[in-house]
Amino acid sequence: MNGPVSVEQLGAELSQSLRRDQILVERAELRTYECDGLTGHRATPLIAVLPETTAEVQAAVQVCASHHLRFVARGSGTGLSGGALPDAEGMLIVLTRMRRIVEIDPANQRMVVEPGVTNLEISKAAAPHGLYYAPDPSSQVVCSIGGNVAENAGGAHCLKYGFTTHHVLGLEVVLPDASVVCLGSPMVESPGYDLRGVFIGTEGTLGIATSVTVRLLRLPETVATLVAEFATTADAGTAVSAIIAAGIVPAAVEMLDHLAIQACEAAVGAGFSLEAGAVLVVEVDGPSEECSGTFAAATAACTASGALRVRVAADADERRLIWQGRKAAFAAMGRLSPAFLIQDGVIPRTRLGPVLTRIAELAAEAGLHVANVFHAGDGNLHPLILYDTARAGEDERAELLATRIIQLCVDAGGSITGEHGVGVDKACSMPAMFSEDDLAAMLRVRTAFDPEGRCNPGKVFPTPRLCGERPGPYRPHPLEEAGMIDRW
Amino acid sequence: MVSSSTIHRPAGLRETRDALVEAARAGASVECAGGGASAPWAQGRGSANLVLDTTSLTAPLIHEAGDLTVLAGAGILLSELQAELAGAGQFLALDPPSARRGATLGGVMSSGDAGPLRHRYGTLRELVIGVTVVLADGTVARSGGRVIKNVAGYDLAKLFCSAYGSLGLVADLWLRLHPLPERRCTVRVEATAAEAGGLVLAVLASPLEPSALDFCRGACWARFEGTAAGTQAQAEAAVGLARGSGLEAEVLGGDEDAAAWEQVATATSGGAFEGDGVTVLRAVTLPSELEAADTALQRAGQGAGVQVELASHAGIGVHTGRLTGGDAAAHAIVLASWRDFIADRGGSVSVRQHPPDLDDPALLAGPPPPGLEVMRRVKKVFDPDGRLAPGRFSPWF
Repeated sequence: MNGPVSVEQLGAELSQSLRRDQILVERAELRTYECDGLTGHRATPLIAVLPETTAEVQAAVQVCASHHLRFVARGSGTGLSGGALPDAEGMLIVLTRMRRIVEIDPANQRMVVEPGVTNLEISKAAAPHGLYYAPDPSSQVVCSIGGNVAENAGGAHCLKYGFTTHHVLGLEVVLPDASVVCLGSPMVESPGYDLRGVFIGTEGTLGIATSVTVRLLRLPETVATLVAEFATTADAGTAVSAIIAAGIVPAAVEMLDHLAIQACEAAVGAGFSLEAGAVLVVEVDGPSEECSGTFAAATAACTASGALRVRVAADADERRLIWQGRKAAFAAMGRLSPAFLIQDGVIPRTRLGPVLTRIAELAAEAGLHVANVFHAGDGNLHPLILYDTARAGEDERAELLATRIIQLCVDAGGSITGEHGVGVDKACSMPAMFSEDDLAAMLRVRTAFDPEGRCNPGKVFPTPRLCGERPGPYRPHPLEEAGMIDRW
Repeated sequence: MVSSSTIHRPAGLRETRDALVEAARAGASVECAGGGASAPWAQGRGSANLVLDTTSLTAPLIHEAGDLTVLAGAGILLSELQAELAGAGQFLALDPPSARRGATLGGVMSSGDAGPLRHRYGTLRELVIGVTVVLADGTVARSGGRVIKNVAGYDLAKLFCSAYGSLGLVADLWLRLHPLPERRCTVRVEATAAEAGGLVLAVLASPLEPSALDFCRGACWARFEGTAAGTQAQAEAAVGLARGSGLEAEVLGGDEDAAAWEQVATATSGGAFEGDGVTVLRAVTLPSELEAADTALQRAGQGAGVQVELASHAGIGVHTGRLTGGDAAAHAIVLASWRDFIADRGGSVSVRQHPPDLDDPALLAGPPPPGLEVMRRVKKVFDPDGRLAPGRFSPWF
């Protein structure tokens, strides 16, 4: 091929396999897909397709392969790191029309679904059999399982139940060379390398999942939820440590700080006290007897840590309201501030106190407010940085504060992302966590799947184009800190 | 130059890296060795120029008890690690019987070995949160980190689980830990494979949350962990379920519980390393196939004049078939027949141990997995000269 292929040419080739209504070339139509949940980054793709079958995905990827064209897969577009940001010179493959539930096997607790099926639809389809799908990201009403696979989505309950990688057993994948391959199987293991395991969480950079086999769990016999109010986040953090120290693995432990409580209450009215400095939502689930024991212990841990009030959800409705309050946190921030940034970082849970104090100091230095909502059980912080674009320089200060908070997480021994992914948003922060050799090893995997680097380019890995030539700071490995090894 | 069959035991990460750099320079093939417990699996070890003994990769643990995490060197004995953690009321939720035969942490990761607790906790794949590996060219690379929730970058640890050192050497691991339960107890139900098959599905469909759910030695075994009252209640409910199906059930607690699981773990791993004429097969099916898997194995054994015994992690559909008596040719017939049956149902059969004269590589390996081409490409990018773990996964690559 000489020179870039024309949109007309691509459209003509695609129309061999797809209907005209599945091929979008008009700018107005394409702009629907110009961003995902990270709305600050926008790009209009050259062309978009809406395949309905694996064969159609394969046909679209084949057209890309024959023209060495880049492509990006997109599910529901709820991602918060720009993982589904289109490539302006590439094709966007939108999977929302692939939303069939292919098979349910209740006895073996398995379900096969297409990638566009939403996370919540899986649990709804499983419910008549007394089953559900455990990972429950806050966006579960709209986010697709294909996107969950790409991001290794977690959710409020992953402390006990794990992440997408623990619940997806098999994948059918269209590779960038347009071949179709099965990774994993409906069984708990398959011969050879764990390619399904390495594929999950690679943010769409290795291929497109076109069928997903998930493991379902039986709905727990009992669920018990409490809301504990504390004067300070430090007290709430102490309670979390006390719960863990008591040998309890709760289904979920969520914390909201004072500012986050204001927003959630304004939006949902879940009954969190507006005076509280922090609120903990603690949930345990399982067989009734087991549950009542661990729930009593969790309640005692909250009280002993200085809880001002402990409220137990009386029924499923009250529990739903509490969770609605918690899950509405991001959307509710609009009530407090005209604009906000959502950050996603992880720290070792035991560092919660000092890290929150430091976040408050950094926020004060920046002259901004930060509301904190987090999965406290696993140390996954979601600081929400409030700002106003109408005030000169605030957006830049907010960006800078977000970056400083992430560096703080890494310095505390944590991670730059617990569930939102790297995408374009944090590609330049990867060197804060990984050395060049670490990244090069990951890129070898990329090469094995996608030698031309055409599949979701510009995501996950820092590039000079994206980040400038400036290398990021190297963070020492714990063994180095401990003086047991040295760098060469 | 590295001479034939040199054994080298590096004392740390730097020496490991130096050894691999030197091997690369010399074009030497390299086998990573741990405690040797799973050495015969995945087509066994070939004859490498250099054996890298990992048992000295035992830097002091960094145990973050409050975070339920630990950093451990790959060379630590699993049994030693568990003893250390038990002091803090925690454990690595993994109970492969090879732990009693000197299995190292890195070996358990590289072989994917696990025990009955896999029903609840999975394998090391589910418990590793960060890893340091040394690649064929001496590159030291890390992925993951020290926090349980982390989606930054590719998860290389997954790739090095069950890779038998064919992609690189695992040097150290950050692990997720669990609190030791207050109480453990077991419900033992006398059952045939057919009865056990029904009971297992009934338990899976019930609110019970067993930590292990196995079938072996003429019984179905369910283990429960948790609070004293919770465990008791679950055990009673399980007994009720069994009696409802007309089966005899008993509850084993304390020392009896521990002894029972030592037996079950040994049986479900095939009681490996007992005798030269033994073949141990590992089959994976859907949980509902217990009875069918057993029937097919019995039939194949009878046809070939081989004694067979099935032991299963029944709740997750992982079966061990143990073949004794009869010659290698007869064992080959049983293997081929059982594998055909299991494959028809979407499962797979691999060989964990076999008599020396059962030596057809294609038969031992079985049909290649659907992702073989990608697997080869992954092998190629990590080990372009094919020097690591010669013989493993033969003849796939």
